[in-house]
Amino acid sequence: MTVLAQAPVPRDVGVFEWLFDPQSWTGSDGILASLADTVVLCAIVMVVATVTMVPLASWLAHTRRGEVSVSWLVTLSRAIPTFAVAGLLVPISLRNGWGFEPWPIFIALLLLALPPIFLNTYTAIKQVDPGVVDAARAMGYSETNVLFRVELALATSVILDGVRVAAVTVVATEPIRAFLGGDGLGRYVRDGLGQNNDGLVVAGAILVAGLAGLTALSFRSIESVALPDGVRRLATTSTR
Amino acid sequence: MSSNGHHSKGATEMAIRLDGVDKVFPGTERPAVSALSLEIPRGATVALIGPSGCGKTTTLRMINGLIAPTAGRIEVDGTDIATQPTVQLRRGIGYVIQEVGLFPHRTIAQNIGTVPKMLGWERDRIAERIDELVDLVGLDRDMLRRYPDELSGGQQQRVGVARALAADPPVLLMDEPFGAVDPIVRTRLQDELLELQARVGKTIVLVTHDIDEALKIADRIALLNVGGILEQYSSADELLAAPASGFVEAFVGDDRSVKRLQLKTVADLPFHQGPVLAATDGAVAARKVMQEYATDWIGVTSDDIFLGWVHADDILTDAPLASAPRAMPAAQVRRDSTLRSAMQIIMTSHTSVAVIDDGGQFGGVVTLELIRAGLEAVTD
Amino acid sequence: MAGLLAQATNPIIRWEYFIDEWDQIQRALIEHLELTVYAVILGFVLSVGLSAVALRYRWSAGPINGFTAFLYTIPSVALFAILVPYFGLSRITAVVPLAAYTLLILVTNFVAGFNSVSPEVREAAAGMGMTPARRVLHVELPLAMPYIIAGLRIAVVSTVGLVTVAAIIGQGGLGRLILDGLRRTFWTPMTIGSLLSILLALALDGIILVAGRWATPWAQRQKSVL
Repeated sequence: MTVLAQAPVPRDVGVFEWLFDPQSWTGSDGILASLADTVVLCAIVMVVATVTMVPLASWLAHTRRGEVSVSWLVTLSRAIPTFAVAGLLVPISLRNGWGFEPWPIFIALLLLALPPIFLNTYTAIKQVDPGVVDAARAMGYSETNVLFRVELALATSVILDGVRVAAVTVVATEPIRAFLGGDGLGRYVRDGLGQNNDGLVVAGAILVAGLAGLTALSFRSIESVALPDGVRRLATTSTR
Repeated sequence: MSSNGHHSKGATEMAIRLDGVDKVFPGTERPAVSALSLEIPRGATVALIGPSGCGKTTTLRMINGLIAPTAGRIEVDGTDIATQPTVQLRRGIGYVIQEVGLFPHRTIAQNIGTVPKMLGWERDRIAERIDELVDLVGLDRDMLRRYPDELSGGQQQRVGVARALAADPPVLLMDEPFGAVDPIVRTRLQDELLELQARVGKTIVLVTHDIDEALKIADRIALLNVGGILEQYSSADELLAAPASGFVEAFVGDDRSVKRLQLKTVADLPFHQGPVLAATDGAVAARKVMQEYATDWIGVTSDDIFLGWVHADDILTDAPLASAPRAMPAAQVRRDSTLRSAMQIIMTSHTSVAVIDDGGQFGGVVTLELIRAGLEAVTD
Repeated sequence: MAGLLAQATNPIIRWEYFIDEWDQIQRALIEHLELTVYAVILGFVLSVGLSAVALRYRWSAGPINGFTAFLYTIPSVALFAILVPYFGLSRITAVVPLAAYTLLILVTNFVAGFNSVSPEVREAAAGMGMTPARRVLHVELPLAMPYIIAGLRIAVVSTVGLVTVAAIIGQGGLGRLILDGLRRTFWTPMTIGSLLSILLALALDGIILVAGRWATPWAQRQKSVL
């Protein structure tokens, strides 16, 4: 335990006492500020991942270019050691004068978000019934129309599922940022461990897990509201 | 026609007996099989046939204990199967299904050797048996080291049969064994099964929905109606000649007589020698025979080989038949020719008669009248 | 943070570190391997039980999948942290969450593996008079093997990656090198820890792949559901 600083703080701050104390939520170290920090980073990661992967995968699947080994990609997405990747990137970032934050964690999280989005888009578009596509072409749809009005339309729910998986993974992994020289919502676990303060550790864990759960839930509700019934019924494939 | 009932020689003459067997699956009201009684003699090939939902597969699966009957009694080899451990029972019954169900992780040799290995046979004996079976079902020994995926459908089906026969079980159950292969392969596999059965003499129960397959392979046919009701259990010929009900008639089809023609062979006919004499015989004998048969033609043989037909006008008095000009060559059929092909040959030959070629020798004559008479008699 | 500017010229790897700190690197590597193995073994045993229940009682498959999926979505930092009050900064605190994360992938693959056995093969096995135990051991288990191995590969590789995170609770093998380097703004241990953990994952993956090929000669291609 020598690596951890021993702070003379009382060992137990009550978990709920701390969580319900308005003072914990406000200020530059407060929960709200940390939450915003985390959410902004995750949102940027997700936007970048989505706007790059959905078009790329759609194009590859539509043109049947490059047979992508799906199982290999799945393995890869499960295997990316985010902590190690970020650990490798921090020195590089610092040597180039970009600082601890946010590039290393951003890239590490991005690597985590790309595979599920790519994979779901790719497989969803590939699985669109060729008969439907042929029928659309026969009716005079242009290739762009086929892609946007048929393939993407039918693949929406599966793509959204990939985005959800990516988002939950990113939000769940982001807290390691606090251990890589940054802050964000993971900082309370770090501080609690540093101060040997179990209450703070648990409270921090609850916050981190809560945000991940909330992310999953909100995606589920978006899916149930936003998608037409017909498309939702098509959502038979999913990476989970 | 004692298709059901009397059997004075005791239960052991029957390889399989079903006695009042019912099967009602949980959650359904309609029985799958109702009050089914069936006796399958040792060494017979019996086909269970009927429309889907007639309980034919259920019946088959009850015989090897994959499904337990709701009521009734099933005996295999004189023993009530309910009193016997199922695992033991099944090891004594070969089982072949349409999808074959070969173990994809085992080589062909290992697949075939499954039951002998379970029975604790020695390695050498298993290997020997595998070689024997591979020859029996007509597979290449090179295939033994391969995996099932590397074989064609027909080859897989042959392996399935070999696997079922591995421990030499007296009974073989086959559930639509040739349903998944293309028609050409199916015909070949059916022929092979007939040849195989001629050699091994198992009791075979075969489930099929194809009446032609049943007619071709089975000695006896059990035709089941929806709900497992036995409509008729008889020989193939009787099924065609005397359908027991409208259902049987409809199931067998409009072309019953054509099917019978295909089913029966020349050997089934009460054929005779016909107006045929040896080449050394003279005109007097010839006139007498022609009168007897009320015909103007006489057949001439030499050393039991049929030479041809001679017209009455061409017969010279005081000379052997050999010297007469033979006007007509013979239309020939074989003993195992179907009546249908015999009929076709006769009708295209302009002689209204065909000569039976019995392994190169003259065996008799077949006429359309004979064929007509043959269809009136029902073969059991 | 002013000292950081000085560190900017610090090389990413100092090769003499390998010699000087070889003992420490070796210890970290062994610890990393141990944590991975313990977690995967624990996860494997639990998964066997959960899969057996899910396969035996069909209704339980949904809830079991939901439960393991729920565990999987818990952030690693939170799961390690939440056990600290109970087990302290011990190995148990590291191994339990690591094992929990393997459940989703292992159970899913185990169940899919056994479900992949075709009804015809089951029927044939039963029809030949195989006892239930023999059917499972000689037919179903070998046929499920490609799925089991595929699941194991993903579980092992992702566990190797997650072990580094366990460094935050003072465990974590190579992850400790990463944290240590970060604290001292000394890049060599960070780089070594990161690289070695990635190499370890690749090596273990390769070992299982080869072992799997050897164990399933009939399956040319690896099957995976996830």
